[in-house]
Amino acid sequence: MLQEIGYQLRVIWACARKDVRSALTDRLFTIMGLFVPANVLVLMSLFVLAGSNAPTAVVMQDSGPYAQAFYQAMSQAHSFRLQITSAAEAERLIAAGGIVAVVTIPPEFDLRIQQNQPVQVGVEINNLNTDFTNDIRRAIPLSITSFYAKAFPNLVRVTPHETDLYPQDTDYIPYLAVSILVIALMMGGLMQAGLASAREWENETIKELLLSPASRIAIMLGKMLGSFLVGLGSTCIVLVVLILFLGVVPDHWLEMIGITLLILLIFNALGTLIKQRMPVIALTMGISLPLFFISGAFGPISFSTPLLQAIARLFPVYYQIVVLQHAFHSFLLNTYGTAGNVLILVGFAAGIMLLMTLVLRRSTVSH
Amino acid sequence: MANQSITNAVELVHLVKRFGKFTAVDDLSLQVEPGEIFGLLGPNGSGKTTTVNMLSGLSRPTSGQVRVMGLDLRTQTRQVRQVLGAVHQETALYEELSAWANLDFHADLFGWPKAQKKARIEEMLALVQLADRKDSRVSTFSGGMKRRLALARALLHDPQLIYLDEPTLGVDVQSRRALWDYILDLQKQGKTVFITTNYLEEAQALCSRIAIIDHGRLVALDTPEALTQKFGGSVVEIETNQLFQDLAGLRALPGVKLVEQDGLLLKVTNQAGDRVVPQIINLVAQGCEIRNITVREPTLDEVFLRLTGTALRD
Repeated sequence: MLQEIGYQLRVIWACARKDVRSALTDRLFTIMGLFVPANVLVLMSLFVLAGSNAPTAVVMQDSGPYAQAFYQAMSQAHSFRLQITSAAEAERLIAAGGIVAVVTIPPEFDLRIQQNQPVQVGVEINNLNTDFTNDIRRAIPLSITSFYAKAFPNLVRVTPHETDLYPQDTDYIPYLAVSILVIALMMGGLMQAGLASAREWENETIKELLLSPASRIAIMLGKMLGSFLVGLGSTCIVLVVLILFLGVVPDHWLEMIGITLLILLIFNALGTLIKQRMPVIALTMGISLPLFFISGAFGPISFSTPLLQAIARLFPVYYQIVVLQHAFHSFLLNTYGTAGNVLILVGFAAGIMLLMTLVLRRSTVSH
Repeated sequence: MANQSITNAVELVHLVKRFGKFTAVDDLSLQVEPGEIFGLLGPNGSGKTTTVNMLSGLSRPTSGQVRVMGLDLRTQTRQVRQVLGAVHQETALYEELSAWANLDFHADLFGWPKAQKKARIEEMLALVQLADRKDSRVSTFSGGMKRRLALARALLHDPQLIYLDEPTLGVDVQSRRALWDYILDLQKQGKTVFITTNYLEEAQALCSRIAIIDHGRLVALDTPEALTQKFGGSVVEIETNQLFQDLAGLRALPGVKLVEQDGLLLKVTNQAGDRVVPQIINLVAQGCEIRNITVREPTLDEVFLRLTGTALRD
């Protein structure tokens, strides 16, 4: 019995070591595997950053305290990326498509406010993109309200009284970055394991494995372990980018490490099921993005439609985002508890591994 | 483990393999004796590779039974894998790894004792004369070197039955001879060797017995000599001074199976033995002057052509 266990452990280690060696000999594969997840993280973060605030020029034709206060109100509206320019420069920028809007604070802004006279703030919008246009249309009135609330607190009678569920706010970028981390791990894990597995089938070296007396589960575990070890490198890189460059630091380090490794393991297991390179690429790209969008990447799935919620719950990505958000930001996006979500993920991992073993047990060559 | 006093090293019983409506192997039964080199021949698509894939457990039979060294492949798969060493047509080596790493991995997969692993790998590399290239990547090897390495790998776990699928396909003449020597040495060591090949010269040089299959069915099974005698008859080659016209007359003679004309050389294959030879010569002499006559046994190629209606090809 002990001898048998020792033999199967030896097979697991041999398969893992062989796959690591094979991966390291293929430089393109190694570089791709190492940097694809980090690349996904950076690109998606840039995409989010680029789309978050509308570049806007402010022409300050009055520099009095009220005009300055109005400018402050605009800068705190979370919608503008402001720059103060001259009128001519603003016109040049909007004509060249470099900015979305020009806001002109007119001369005598302060004087007219003091005299309780109406003031018109000029807003010129490049309305080719509805998303940005609506941002401007919403944010200008909001800035005016904020300006009045601060400048004339006695005039504004309705004020919000906010009670927060969590002790701190979680900004959009740190929230989204954690979801992107899951997708980066998914793409990296699928690609590493998928390509290693496909290489075995396409080069027909799978025959060497299928003809050995080793158990199928030992071979599968070995292959998974190999991809996992190679994937650790890319995981470290992606975490460094997330923590050091994006400044998203986990609240619970051990939990974050454990969950990250579990996520990698699940996608390694899934990748090991693939027998050809083309499906590896198709699957990696084809399922990562849809799952990213429906699994609560931008906010809790309870904010979306019941159908999307039901679909999201069918896939591990949703639970991975939930537990990883907890590891980073200490909040839980569902009611299953951390242990409950982890248990579901372990269930997914066990199910995929079982499927993997069945696939290899039933595997034969094509003729 | 397998019983040492087994009657057959390989036993295929009413073996059938279907892929949808296509029957690749059709009720194939044969036995391979321990210690013999057995050749399985057939044209492309005849079911050779499907048969050996079933023999090695890489493919499941639709029906029928496979026994290897007395072990039932269906129920004792793992034991069968332990006694079987396989060299596939495509070698299935990890080309990105070194020769040593390939053998090292195989030793681990087959549970070769760790203490003896290094010595065994060295022994195998020395056997196939690749010791000096042990650290080179397999991708840098020639076709012949890859075949030798694949053979070393198949032998590493000391199997009792070695199956070689087209062992010398695509290798140069020198490497082919070396591989033949290794295979003949295996027989001397008491191993059973099961070969599929497209080279009849190879089958003739190595195999104690040959099975010819076509369309998945067994067409003939015997020693190479018996096959040429049983199915061959004789071949009469006649060189004439001018083109012989009455080919139809020759074909009408009793026992004549095939008449071929290549310029002034006539080749008449018959199954009636020597008694029809004078009639052939008389008929040809009536049409033209005979310059030379040769009567010989047919080659295995000609037997194969007659049995399957097709020539062996790569």
